[in-house]
Amino acid sequence: MYEADRELVAKMLAGEQRAFDVFFDTSAQRLAAFAARRSGLDGASLEDVVQIALIKAVRNLAHYRGEAALFTWLSGICLHELADARRTAARRPAHVSLFESSAVQEAITHLSAPEHEEPVAQLDAEQQGAAVIRILEALPERYAFVLEAKYGDGLAVADIARQLGVSAIAVQSLLGRAREAFREKWLRETSSASSERSPL
Amino acid sequence: MTDKPPLDSPRSVNDPELERLLTSQLARAPLSAEALERLHTSVSQAWRETPALTRVSPPHGTVGGWKRWAGLAAAASVVATVLTLLALRPAVEREQFGIVARSTDGGLEVRGTFFRRHRVRVGEAIQVGDAVESRGSALVELGHGGTLRVAPASAMIVVTASELALKHGLIYVDKPPGLTEFARLHVSTRAGLVEHVGTEFELKSDDQVVRIRVREGQVRFFGASGAQTANAGTELSALSGGRLVTRPVPSFGRAWEWTTALAPEFAIEGRPLIEFLQWASRELGCTLDFADARARDTASSTILHGSIQGEIPGDALANILASTTLSFELAEGSLRIRSSR
Repeated sequence: MYEADRELVAKMLAGEQRAFDVFFDTSAQRLAAFAARRSGLDGASLEDVVQIALIKAVRNLAHYRGEAALFTWLSGICLHELADARRTAARRPAHVSLFESSAVQEAITHLSAPEHEEPVAQLDAEQQGAAVIRILEALPERYAFVLEAKYGDGLAVADIARQLGVSAIAVQSLLGRAREAFREKWLRETSSASSERSPL
Repeated sequence: MTDKPPLDSPRSVNDPELERLLTSQLARAPLSAEALERLHTSVSQAWRETPALTRVSPPHGTVGGWKRWAGLAAAASVVATVLTLLALRPAVEREQFGIVARSTDGGLEVRGTFFRRHRVRVGEAIQVGDAVESRGSALVELGHGGTLRVAPASAMIVVTASELALKHGLIYVDKPPGLTEFARLHVSTRAGLVEHVGTEFELKSDDQVVRIRVREGQVRFFGASGAQTANAGTELSALSGGRLVTRPVPSFGRAWEWTTALAPEFAIEGRPLIEFLQWASRELGCTLDFADARARDTASSTILHGSIQGEIPGDALANILASTTLSFELAEGSLRIRSSR
């Protein structure tokens, strides 16, 4: 399992520039998206968090044992950095860039979102985003991983298969089960939100 | 009749609908091409410097065996000699760099001989040669004029009365216009030297970046890739690979609040209101303007009494103008004063 990731890390530890470039190209934007989904950070702060997480990762590459996908390992580091960023923001004066505001990001997200349909329209866009993340975090790790990789990061099934070290058919099957688990939790979430808003 | 299954059925969200929901909520590409390039430079640098990498690919010509031990012994003897000389050196009067005017949450500490640390209290001096670290934040009134504001968790060495080496952290330099050439402060960082001409600027240095935000005046930066000048309203970042990146930055707003909270005291007693307004607008990063001639006349002819000790500039502005016939409006970098009655 995770043979491709272990091999990539070994090459990076051996100093192969090409391996580093592959690592960076497949991780940086994806990690930023991962962090953006879980925080309201503005562009500059998000960049800072991703930068620190990636630097910590490359400095600790020797500690990657291949027990999880490399991106899962990176996500763990990133979550720690997000927690640190939240603590720092609570303690220290905030540095907000007016040129990369989260309001602008949010407006762009809303523009690209499809028209809401029943029963999805039970929650507004912001609540929907939070609910999706909440549900993903409550799902088994591999379910969340494949859903986020497929729909969040737009990875092809073959790429996900390579990262997980399994066949494409196994990923298709995993995706099916993950969607089903997500659907059940989503329906529970939307119906409870609906009953809270308009009790019968 | 409807094609849609009932709400309580697990099939009431079909696959295409679910996929649209997941894509719309999860798909993001938050980093611009420029941000990715910045990241690539700094992460690549960190990767090349990682100790694990060095162990796998040792540099050619590594010294080994007895030569390494001989080198270590020689280094140890040099260190011992230097420490002895430091301990035995006569107490000499060192030049003063500045006086701590305000501090919060532990303020500043200075590291002395043999790494002993002591806190520098309000009213005490920081001297040339001091290695300064901040626990909390602090305001230092500089001997050659102007102020230095230091954010928590910063570390620097006072090289001369007009040069500071910022190791890491966040500082803000305020050298008001009108000071002499002698009053200039140079700040060296791991990425290069910052030199300014009558200005206010913020300087941040950490493992990844050296960042200068120019609030007023002009800053010149001398780095590995040459010199660059940054004017007011510009942020200049020196990235690990030596590349310089600039972008606009507002001179007002939340990003500057930490510096405003450390503003030096302004003694209002006997001073014209207009001088206070000029001070407050500068501290807030705003331009001062008057909506009408009467407002300007009033500001010039009103003499203030009392004290604003302990008040941050925004609060002091509201409190003082409440006792006059003037009102103010703060918006988008402008402090506008008008006659209210």
